[in-house]
Amino acid sequence: MWKVLVGFAIFAGLAMYILTKSGADVDMGGEKHEVVPAGAATPAASAASH
Amino acid sequence: MAKADARPGAHLTAAARPMTSEEKTVIFASSLGTIFEWYDFYLFGVMASIIAANFFTSLDPATRDIFTLLAFAAGFAVRPFGAIVFGRLGDLVGRKYTFLVTILIMGLSTFLVAFLPTYKSWGIAAPITLIALRLLQGLALGGEYGGAATYVAEHAPHTRRGAYTAWIQTTATVGLMLALMVILGTRLYIGEKDFADWGWRIPYGLSGALLIISVWIRLKLSESPAFTRMKSEGKTSKAPLTESFGNWANLKIVILALLGATAGQAVVWYTGQFYSLFFLQSFLKVDGPTANILIALSLIIGTPFFLLFGSLSDKIGRKPIIMTGCLLAALTYFPLFHALTDYANPKLAAAIQKSPVKVMAPPQNCGLILNLTGTAKFTSACDLTRTYLANSGVNYDKVEDASLTIAHVEVGDKKIAGYAATQPNAKEEKARFEKEVRAALNDAGYPAKADPIPAGSANWWMIILILTIMVIYVTMVYGPIAAMLVEFFPTRIRYTSMSLPYHIGNGWFGGFLPAISFSIVAAQGNIYSGLWYPIIIASMTFVIGMIFIKETKDVDIYADD
Repeated sequence: MWKVLVGFAIFAGLAMYILTKSGADVDMGGEKHEVVPAGAATPAASAASH
Repeated sequence: MAKADARPGAHLTAAARPMTSEEKTVIFASSLGTIFEWYDFYLFGVMASIIAANFFTSLDPATRDIFTLLAFAAGFAVRPFGAIVFGRLGDLVGRKYTFLVTILIMGLSTFLVAFLPTYKSWGIAAPITLIALRLLQGLALGGEYGGAATYVAEHAPHTRRGAYTAWIQTTATVGLMLALMVILGTRLYIGEKDFADWGWRIPYGLSGALLIISVWIRLKLSESPAFTRMKSEGKTSKAPLTESFGNWANLKIVILALLGATAGQAVVWYTGQFYSLFFLQSFLKVDGPTANILIALSLIIGTPFFLLFGSLSDKIGRKPIIMTGCLLAALTYFPLFHALTDYANPKLAAAIQKSPVKVMAPPQNCGLILNLTGTAKFTSACDLTRTYLANSGVNYDKVEDASLTIAHVEVGDKKIAGYAATQPNAKEEKARFEKEVRAALNDAGYPAKADPIPAGSANWWMIILILTIMVIYVTMVYGPIAAMLVEFFPTRIRYTSMSLPYHIGNGWFGGFLPAISFSIVAAQGNIYSGLWYPIIIASMTFVIGMIFIKETKDVDIYADD
């Protein structure tokens, strides 16, 4: 189990490093359905699915 | 490869022992598929604007709406349909082969996006093909989770199903991390411009590697011992759909699994991971990068709790943990989100207290601001005014006044006239309205943005703590859910029966959360009122679950084989 935890810690650490290094300006809100042009504002939150 | 002991009753008497290498492979192979599922989920979220620019920008608004509806269908209609299609297949021909089919369809349809020509070179065929691939992905995704949960549970010792299936539940975080690493790593390496031009294809292309590994490992797996035994005895179901949904005794359990377990689990999950992020960014005006880092850290800290609660459910039961998670969420969401405001944007919290805002509007001007499919357009002055204030994180009282012709906003002694999107000069009016409201809000102490939250500061740690508490609720309801769903149903119809409540619970009750909660916020004029939706659904699950759901941890899942 400890190997898995160490592996996860390294993996998560690497992900956090890349996230912060890249400026973290990314949409983490899940899958989107609107096909609006880039930069256009949506009037209200719509559904997100999984 | 060692085979599990398939003798009837042997599974109940097996002594506690470490996980075998076969069981590790089973868990790894199954989890890899769900990691893939999550990776795909985040690809289409993170790269939504790039995909839109390459495939949909040139379409006219009406055609765009059709594609939006189709993309919506891929998430909300096709996945439950896939759950039925592949659930049936899994109960008819076996878990292993169904598993291979779902991962192949899912993987190939993701991988092919990497080579898809854009609208510029292929015209309308490009978005049609993209949407077709997403529909195929949705179909396969519908069969993936149920297969993974069933397959792992049917390989797990009787007393360890919670612990074994909990590994599948951790893949949500792992999939997110993987997607972030691949997307952001590629963007960092090749640069912003090249990523927008062609580099966005790389994360889709890399999914091919994930597919090859997944298929290779799954090919090495043997069929579930319980299914093999049933098949050799000729006891498998000939009509899983009829037995699952046409038989009231089983259908009743499907409905209870949905209302008494997965619906509450879904809203707690979506609130903890997605709505909290939306709340931080949209209402509290915390900058996107800070909010993302706070959420990512809380997810990482919370992830081991999936395993903890999965294991604990083997000892004290699934029901007490899931129900406690729903109850705690319902009881504490309001204080937790209020605390989030106090620590993330204290100036906003103070302004809400001391400077009330009013929306005065003619009653017929105010509609329901609900954008479930992403195609709704809000045009009246009342709806646009309320949407703007809700998006600004401002609480307001709505006062209906039939003598008015158009809605207006009152901030202190300032009155700002609203505008309708149907006005001839709507664009200029929108700019005028937003500028005047923003100035009035600034004067009243409403910050346009939250002050920076330095990493490691007391407020930063308090926000991490609050978010982690909400993620721990997620792990309480989500950690033991796979084991519980598996234990509800007999082997002959397990795959079919458990997949549907999972996908309807998570897809509909969870997936509609952002739209419904925002609609409530805009209607009520209170940034916390959107929490009523998860609170009501989690409470419903708690009540139904406590009354009608029986504890399943000691259920012999092969008793009816």
